[in-house]
Amino acid sequence: MKHVIIGNGIAGVCAAEAIRILDATADITMIGDETFPPYSRPMISHVLDGSQPHSKLPIRSDHFYDELKITPLLGQRASAIDVDNKQVHLADGTRVNFERLLIATGADPRPLKAEGLDLKNIFYMRTQDHVKQQVAALDGARRAVVLGGGLVGFKAAYGLLKRGLEVTMLITSGYPLSMQVDQTAGHMILDELVHHGLKVEVGVSACAFEGNGSVQVAVTDAGTRLPCDMVIVGKGVLPARTFIPKDRIDLDLGVVVDDHLQTSAPDIYAAGDVAESVDIARACRWVNALWPEAASQGRVAGLNMAGRPVAYPGSLSRNVMRVFGLDVLTVGNANPQEDAGCRVVETGGADKKYYRHLVLKDDILVGVVMINRIEQGGVLRSLIENRIPIRLPPEILITPGFNFGRLLS
Amino acid sequence: MKQVVVHPERCVGCMQCMLACATAHSRSLTLFAAVQETPQPKPRIHVGAGRFNEGFPNRCRHCDPAPCQMACLAGAIYRRDSMDTVMINPDRCINCASCAMACPYGVIRFHEDPLGPVGHAIAVKCDNCSARVAKGQVPACVEVCKAGALTYEEMDAAMRRKTRTVARSMSVDTDPPAIPAGVALLKSIKQSELQLSGS
Repeated sequence: MKHVIIGNGIAGVCAAEAIRILDATADITMIGDETFPPYSRPMISHVLDGSQPHSKLPIRSDHFYDELKITPLLGQRASAIDVDNKQVHLADGTRVNFERLLIATGADPRPLKAEGLDLKNIFYMRTQDHVKQQVAALDGARRAVVLGGGLVGFKAAYGLLKRGLEVTMLITSGYPLSMQVDQTAGHMILDELVHHGLKVEVGVSACAFEGNGSVQVAVTDAGTRLPCDMVIVGKGVLPARTFIPKDRIDLDLGVVVDDHLQTSAPDIYAAGDVAESVDIARACRWVNALWPEAASQGRVAGLNMAGRPVAYPGSLSRNVMRVFGLDVLTVGNANPQEDAGCRVVETGGADKKYYRHLVLKDDILVGVVMINRIEQGGVLRSLIENRIPIRLPPEILITPGFNFGRLLS
Repeated sequence: MKQVVVHPERCVGCMQCMLACATAHSRSLTLFAAVQETPQPKPRIHVGAGRFNEGFPNRCRHCDPAPCQMACLAGAIYRRDSMDTVMINPDRCINCASCAMACPYGVIRFHEDPLGPVGHAIAVKCDNCSARVAKGQVPACVEVCKAGALTYEEMDAAMRRKTRTVARSMSVDTDPPAIPAGVALLKSIKQSELQLSGS
């Protein structure tokens, strides 16, 4: 069997490993944009904040491709897929034949529309190369502007604050991580960041950058001029799917996959940030562009490609982060729509340094936000993921003494 | 291979296993010296209160495949096949708590550990007492448990025994599986206490 995997991020890597477990002799080719050994993307924010060295990023052996007998085609992107002839076209004109194909191309930073983007020290934050450049730019930098209050913007702002820079974050909603946490938790996080020196401008974005070679001023669409030595753009990501023929493979925001991660074209699978599966908590199609989801999707896709049918139950939005003195853990849908018929159970708050926010739909848990004492978060995640009916009063789940034993009757 | 088997119905909540575990993962390996150590060793088995305040000894199940291992951002969690044990490499761990999100049993804690890097909190969990087992000892929690809630035995044998017990309990004219009379009394006292207090 000839397997081709487009993408050498964690989804592609886990897929290759899964194929190799089931099939020692299959032909595996991996096409990848990055030439760096397989590494941990989420760890780049730890490199930016200075807590980990760049050298700790690789999470597989330097000889990963050799050891798994994979043919690597690195340093370029796929430019097209010929579904009928079962070929992938590369940017340099090479054509690669496949019998089973995995699209694991991930996502690219959502591009910013603004003037002066060609100035130095304006960065996206996605790859090890980005963070290497950011760390190099820290030398002598005093002030930074971060665009976006989502996961990337938030982690960039946190990292730069920890490095001692004066950071101004421009966000559209009233508090950071508005997709991940509810208002109370959002304000607790915001207060913690502001307490450590973050400046926040709400409801604005940058429309132009000025400088002499390097960026010196960010101009907001409200007309404010913010002096800065570096800028990090964190406005989310978009699935990397422009090369995919949309008349042959169903596309929505991402590549639509079935419950075995197969696309609408036979023998073509998709996994990771590019794939659109079902969100378990929201019960609808959704792209959860998250590293642990990509790892598990890659593994499931690889098993299916190698001939063992394995169903994928769907993905779940989930995040855990440490913000100075706060540990934050969120799973599923923290902000249900008012007409969704959900019930919210809460305890704690800003003055307690402890907060729990559970969202239930009937007796099924669909969302959790925890601040501090997050060790039992995985138990709640598991209840959401497996759609276990909650037979206990949900108030028990938000007490500090909650533990697995409480679920047993 | 022998494994620690938990029998929660026998747990009286005395927390001796927690003390023994912390001691087994200290530098001095004795209780009296361990309490003087900095950082203080902490248990990797956690006795929580169940719904009727009964004890529930909660420890790592060493799942295979292990969700914490798949979710580990730093590649710090690995399986030691020879011991069927999921291990955390303290020098690779970045204390990101992604494993706390992944673990369906809530058995991972985050703190500085006497056996980890100095001055850094890391993820800490049960290592099946690999250091003790290598010396021919049984895991510390099992050694100290007086109630028979933790045993160290071949998993196959334990499963067969459990299956037999369940099968026998299906037959109406036999007694339900016995737990020691003292444990049963303690549990019913705790349950009545809760009912009387109305919670």
